[in-house]
Amino acid sequence: MKSKQSKRPFIITWVVVAVIYLAVFIAEQKLPATSMLFTVLKKGATYALVAVSMNLLNGFTGIFSLGQAGFMLVGAYVYGIFTIPVELRAQVYQYYDGGLVQFTVPVVLAMIMAGLAAAFFAFLIGLPVLRLKSDYLAIATLGFAEIVRAIFQWNNLGPLTNGSNMLRLFPNFNDFNLRDADGNVTVYLSTLIPFIISGVCIFLIVLLIRSNYGRAFKAIRDDEVAAEAMGINLAHHKQLAFCISSFFAGVGGAMLAMYQTTVQAKSFTTAMTYEILLIVVIGGIGSVTGSVISSFLFVACSEWWLRFLDEKQMIGDFEVPFLRNGFRLVVFSVIIMIVVLFFRRGIMGDKELWDLGSGAKKQERRAAK
Amino acid sequence: MWDTIFPYLLSGISVGGQYALIAIGYTMVYGILRLINFAHGDVFMVAGIMMVYIVAAGVPLWVAIPLVLILTALVGFLIERVAYKPLRSAPRMSVMISAIGVSYTLQNLVLYITGGLNKQYPTIPWISETIVLGTAKTKLVTVITPVLVIVLVVALVMLINKTKIGMAMRAVSKDFETSQLMGIKINQVISATFVIGSFLAGVGSVLYFTNYTTVIQTSGAMPGLKAFVAAVFGGIGSIPGAVIGAFIIGIMENIIKGLDVILFKSGLIDKPVGLATFSDAFTFALLIIILVVKPTGLFGESAADKV
Amino acid sequence: MSKNVLRLENITMQFGGVVAINDLSMRIDEGEIVALIGPNGAGKTTAFNCITGVYEPTNGAVYFHDKVIAAAHPTGKMKRMYAGNDPEKFKGMHVQMTPDKITHMGIARTFQNIRLFKSQTAFENVLIGTHLRRTSNVFSATFHLNDKEENRNREKAMELLDIVGLADVAEEKATSLPYGKQRRLEIARALATEPTLLLLDEPAAGMNPQETIELGQFIQQIKNDFNLTVFVIEHHMDLVMGISDRIYVIEFGKQIAEGTPEEIQNNQAVIDAYLGGNDE
Repeated sequence: MKSKQSKRPFIITWVVVAVIYLAVFIAEQKLPATSMLFTVLKKGATYALVAVSMNLLNGFTGIFSLGQAGFMLVGAYVYGIFTIPVELRAQVYQYYDGGLVQFTVPVVLAMIMAGLAAAFFAFLIGLPVLRLKSDYLAIATLGFAEIVRAIFQWNNLGPLTNGSNMLRLFPNFNDFNLRDADGNVTVYLSTLIPFIISGVCIFLIVLLIRSNYGRAFKAIRDDEVAAEAMGINLAHHKQLAFCISSFFAGVGGAMLAMYQTTVQAKSFTTAMTYEILLIVVIGGIGSVTGSVISSFLFVACSEWWLRFLDEKQMIGDFEVPFLRNGFRLVVFSVIIMIVVLFFRRGIMGDKELWDLGSGAKKQERRAAK
Repeated sequence: MWDTIFPYLLSGISVGGQYALIAIGYTMVYGILRLINFAHGDVFMVAGIMMVYIVAAGVPLWVAIPLVLILTALVGFLIERVAYKPLRSAPRMSVMISAIGVSYTLQNLVLYITGGLNKQYPTIPWISETIVLGTAKTKLVTVITPVLVIVLVVALVMLINKTKIGMAMRAVSKDFETSQLMGIKINQVISATFVIGSFLAGVGSVLYFTNYTTVIQTSGAMPGLKAFVAAVFGGIGSIPGAVIGAFIIGIMENIIKGLDVILFKSGLIDKPVGLATFSDAFTFALLIIILVVKPTGLFGESAADKV
Repeated sequence: MSKNVLRLENITMQFGGVVAINDLSMRIDEGEIVALIGPNGAGKTTAFNCITGVYEPTNGAVYFHDKVIAAAHPTGKMKRMYAGNDPEKFKGMHVQMTPDKITHMGIARTFQNIRLFKSQTAFENVLIGTHLRRTSNVFSATFHLNDKEENRNREKAMELLDIVGLADVAEEKATSLPYGKQRRLEIARALATEPTLLLLDEPAAGMNPQETIELGQFIQQIKNDFNLTVFVIEHHMDLVMGISDRIYVIEFGKQIAEGTPEEIQNNQAVIDAYLGGNDE
C-alpha cells in the first residue's frame, strides 16, 4: 500500500544515529578532554537544536521570524537564574545582595522551565505580530529580540537578572561527568549529555513535523489561502508553531548557557540570529537533517578547521598572503554567499536522511518503466 | 525643565536627520523591490571605514569626501548586481537571506581590515567646531544636519517627480511587471535606486561619524535597523514619511536617553531608574505598535491582495 | 420543498469605487446542482470568495443551513462610496466567519487558478483535508497517540484518490500532475473536509470535450455518493446545461436571469450578454 512507507530507511537512520552516539561516547573516554573536537561537538549539538527549531518556523511553516536570539536569551537566563547554587548566589549577585531567587531547581526541570518561559514570551508576542506579512514579521520579531535584550539588562531587574552583569557558576556541561570521591573523572559524559538533550528535542520536532499538525504547517507554508480553505485555522496553527519553535529555542538557550558557562544579555545579538539563519539556509530550508549537519559543519569551520586562516602560515620560506586575524570569517562569508546565490537548496534541499534511500528507489522505478 | 530637555532635543534632531538619510535608501529599495535591504546599514558603516582609510592615506579632505560618496554609491551598485540581481525571480525569502548574507560579509570584511578595532573618524574642520546654543554645547554638525537633509530631500523629490528616471522609478514601484512590459529598463532603475540610496547613506555617515567619532564593523547595524523602523513608521515607500519618521525616532530616542536626568532634575523621581537602557528597545516597541495598529505607517498606501 | 442549504441576501461587494457584485440574492436547496454563469469579470469568483469568507461583503448576508455566516453593511469610508442598495437593511448584524470556520461548517471549495500544496504529494494534499476533523491535539499527534485516527484518515484519503481516479499517482508531487488531474485532485481534497456543500470554481477549465463529459458524470456521481449540494461556476455550456438543476446568470455583478437550463437557453438577456449583442 502506498500510504504505508517502507521501514528500512528509518532503521538505517536509527543505526546511523546509534553509531554516532557510541562514537561520541568512546571518543570522550579516549581523547583528552581539551581536544577541539569536543568544543565543536558541544556547540554543534546546541546550534543544531536551535537551527532545527528555527527551521520548524522558517522552513516548515513559512513564518520568517528573526527572533531566535531573543528566545534563546530568555531560555539561557531562566536556566541560569534557577540553577545557580544557593551558596554561590551572593558571589554572583554581588551588587544585588545575592539576588531575589534563593532556591535552585534540578537541571532538567530548569531546562523545561527555560523552554516554557521562551514559549510564553512567544505566545505574548505572537498574538500581535503573527498577523503580519513575511518581511514585516521578520523585522517585528527582530525588534522583539532587541526589546528582550534591553529588558534583561535593565538594572532595576538586577535582583532577578543581575542587570548588565553576567550570570555564572551554574551547572555546565562538565558537571555531567561522573567523578569518584577524590573528584577525578571516572566517566566522561560532558559531550554525550548535550547530544542526548539535543537529540531528544530534535526527535520530538521530527515527530511533530511528521504528524498531521506538521502537514498542516507545511500546507500553510505552501499556500495560506488554500490551507485556510481546507479548514486550517491559520492564527491557531501559526501561534502553535511559533510557541513550539520558541520552546526549543529556549532549551537551546539553556544549552548555550551550559556551553559558555556564563550568560550575558548583550551577547544575544541580531548577529546570532543571522548566524543561525545562515546555518538553516546552508543545511537546506525545510530539512531537519540538513540543519543538523550544517550546524556541525558551521561550528567546526568557524571554531576549528578554518582557524589556520587567522594565523600566519609559512610554506617553506613563503609567507601565505592575507592570512591574519579575521580572514577566516571573510572566507566563511564568501562561502555563505556562494551557497545563498548558487546553491539555494543547500546541502539537503528539503530532503531528510531517511528520504535518501526511498528517493533513489523511486528513480530506479522510473527508470524501469 | 526646557533647559534640561533642549540639549537632548537638539541631538535628537541631528541623529534623526542622519537616520533620515539612511531611511530614504530603505524606503526607495522597498518601494521598488519589496526587499528589506538588511545590508543598507552596513553600507553606511563601510562609507565610514572608507573615509578613515582614505584620509589616513593622505588624501586631503576636500577630495576624500566626494570620493567616499562616489565609492559608497558604487558599493551599493555592486551589492545589487552581485547579490540581488541573480535572485530577481527567486522567492522573496531568498533575497532577504541574501541581504542578510551581504550584511554578514561586509561586517566580516571590515573586521578583517580593521582587526576589529575602533577606528578614529577623521575630524572634518568647520562642521566639527563646537558651538553654544542656549544651554546646549554641541558641534556645528548638529545644526547643519537637518538643513542638509531638507535640501537633499527636496532635490530628491524633484528628481523623482521631474526627471525621466524618476518617472520610471515611480512606475516600477507601482507595478513591477507592467512597467517592465512597457519597456522600462528595470535593471537601470533598480541600479539608480541603489546608487541614490547608498549615496545618501554616505552623506549620512559623514554627519553621523563626525558626531560619534569612531567606526567599527558593527557601527552600521543599529542605525540601520532604526532607519528601517523610521521608514516603516513613516509608511514604507514614502520618502517624506521616512524623513518624518526618522526625525520622530531620533528625537524620542534621545529624550529617553536623557529621561532619567530630565525626570530627576524636575523632581519627578528621586533616583535614576536606568531608563536609558530602553532607548534602543523603545524604537522597536514603536515598530511593533505601528505594525499592529497601522501597518501601512503614517503616509503609506495600502494595497489589496488578490486571491 | 426541500431544505435550504445556502442563501445569499442582497450581497454587494465593492472594492473602493469598483462594484464587483451588485445586490445579488440567490438560494440553493439540498441536493441541487446549481450553476453560476456569466461573462469573464462578471463577479462569479468574487461571489465564491464572499461565501467562503475570503472576502467580507460590503453589504448583505450569507446563510448556510439557515445560520448566518457573513453579514455586513457599509461602514466608515465605504458609507460615502457605497453604490448598492439597502445600506440600512443589515444594520445591527455583523458576522464575519473566517474561511476555516466556514469549511468546518461544511462548505468546501476548489480554486479557479489551482491552489494545491505544491511541495506535497497528491496523497498528502488529500490527507491535509482531513486535518480539520481531527480529535487529536498537538501533543497526542506528536507522540503518535492518534494512530487509529491517522490510519483511518490515510485510508480515507486513499479512497478519495481512488474515487477521483488518481490512486496510481498518489505518491507523485501534486504540481507535477497534468492539469486535468490537478483539478480532480482539488476536488478530492475538498471532499476530504467532509462538506455538505461543494463549491466548484471552473472545474472544466482547460479540459477537452471528452474530459468535460466525464467530469459532468463525475460531479453527479459524487453528488449522489456523498449526499452533496453542488454550486458550480463554469464557462463550458455543455457541462452547465447537462448537470444543473438551476442556473443563475450574472453580468457586471448583477443578476440578469435565473431558471432551469431550458429557460436560460431561451432567455434574451442571457443571449445578449453572451453574444455581446446589446445594441441599443
